Amino acid sequence: MSTPELVMQARGLVKRYGQVTALDGADFELRAGEILAVIGDNGAGKSSLIKCLSGATVPDEGEILLDGRPVRFRTPIDARHAGIETVYQDLAVAPAMSISENLFLGREMRRPGFLGQVLRMLDKKRMLQESIARMQDLKVGIRSMTQAVETLSGGQRQCVAVARAAAFAQHVVIMDEPTAALGVKEGNMVLELIRRVRDKGLPVVLISHNMPHVFEVADRIHVARLGKRCAVLNPKKISMSDTVAVMTGAMPPGQIPAEYLAH
Amino acid sequence: MSTWKDKLPPMGTLGPFLALLGACAFFATQSQNFLTGGNLSLILQQVMVVGVIAIGQTLVILTAGIDLSCGMVMALGGIVMTKFATDLGLPPALAVLCGVGVTTLFGLVNGLLVTRVKLPPFIVTLGTLNIAFAITQLYSNSQTVTDLPPSMTALGNTFSVGGTEVAFGALLMLALYVLAWFVLRETAAGRHVYAVGNNAEATRLVGIPTQRVLLMVYVIAGLFYGIASLLSVARTGVGDPNAGQTENLDAITAVVLGGTSLFGGRGVILGSLVGALIVGVFRNGLTLMGVSSIYQVLVTGILVILAVATDQLSRKGGR
Repeated sequence: MSTPELVMQARGLVKRYGQVTALDGADFELRAGEILAVIGDNGAGKSSLIKCLSGATVPDEGEILLDGRPVRFRTPIDARHAGIETVYQDLAVAPAMSISENLFLGREMRRPGFLGQVLRMLDKKRMLQESIARMQDLKVGIRSMTQAVETLSGGQRQCVAVARAAAFAQHVVIMDEPTAALGVKEGNMVLELIRRVRDKGLPVVLISHNMPHVFEVADRIHVARLGKRCAVLNPKKISMSDTVAVMTGAMPPGQIPAEYLAH
Repeated sequence: MSTWKDKLPPMGTLGPFLALLGACAFFATQSQNFLTGGNLSLILQQVMVVGVIAIGQTLVILTAGIDLSCGMVMALGGIVMTKFATDLGLPPALAVLCGVGVTTLFGLVNGLLVTRVKLPPFIVTLGTLNIAFAITQLYSNSQTVTDLPPSMTALGNTFSVGGTEVAFGALLMLALYVLAWFVLRETAAGRHVYAVGNNAEATRLVGIPTQRVLLMVYVIAGLFYGIASLLSVARTGVGDPNAGQTENLDAITAVVLGGTSLFGGRGVILGSLVGALIVGVFRNGLTLMGVSSIYQVLVTGILVILAVATDQLSRKGGR
């Protein structure tokens, strides 16, 4: 069996905030077509790692590679241009605007010819059709794309955010606690959608505190601890309680049985 | 599945229209002079200055800001263009351009203070309100500027439509509304104004330069105040250092009455035109009924509070 293709990689990331070292030489590897969960206690360097990957912060040392080529992100916009989309937990949508407008916010399509080039008119019809097609593609059951996002439930709103990311990401979708603000049923709806995004071929980085959610969808689990990557676990072999033990340091990396590790 | 209810404009859009019709119906029963072509044309003329200021004000309020300086900046623009044309003897077109330039500059200052220094729009424009007022009084010596070249007041001239005189300025106002409506509704730049007012952080994260959008909104608002300066000069035939004092709050009243939310991100520009007409109709109708102008101010105050209360309640309840 050949080694799976690496879509995104980070080597030796260091990030210091004054006296505090949030990242202390962290590594990261994301393979094609997988859901990689990133877990870790508070202060383990989990969010600093994700911020570096999504362009929200610039690491002090270390390098990030996308499809084997080194990249440097100074802003989240840089990361987006490189094909990395991020979904945030706090439902980052414009509530009074329609679903279709939200999907195409910042990437609006203009009409062809004079109307679009000179009058800069939007092609609302095409954006609406595209929205319907993309939402159907991901099997998101929302009736009307012209309804305002604020008429949707929290889970449906998050589905809009995930669908937007999936529709435009070329390489990677990063999801930062996408189910944290949601109820059980709503959370499951979003998990189902995350699986579909992966099945479409986009690798997903899922940051979550919710162990059942992580075990339900993740192919591999990246455990952050003390500013480093302490292990990459196989959720099909290891139990939830052992995972927590690794995360908290009760089970040191050297003592993890080999079959628990992901290969 | 869309039902006939989805096709109807929402209550926030329909409400102001109904209020305007109701007000017209009421005043028509109170004074037989109200529903005459001449009077309606007069209302349109009285509304054109407030109406154009309200376009700029709507843009600012859509971004969840507010511009308290609008009327005073408009007055300063009027003094600059009339003084430049009379005292300095500049050609009228150039003088007008200078006046509009000054109001646009004020918009730029407001915008820079809001976006770069991150001050709240309320405080920034409260400051520039006073600055613009003081400069207006100092530069004009608190004297009205008269003997304007006739071309400067051309927009105040009228043409006849079936025996009713309509001012060119009123036509200009309507044209500006159509333009603003088109940009806000049909272009990405316009939708970004709504998005910034809706959720500025989410808008920034999808890659829209929100600070630039905000800055442009204040600059364009300043440009509209400059056009309003010209209309004010054209309507009164003089450069009036005390102009803009009623327009300042009337413009905000018009926007709020028109259904634009003070919390940003919601509203329709044509609502502001309706709101300006409501204010104009009340002023005109109460005058025809012989009610003293102090009561008109009282009624305007009550109208604003009613409109904001409706906005607040609809956000808490229906959504």
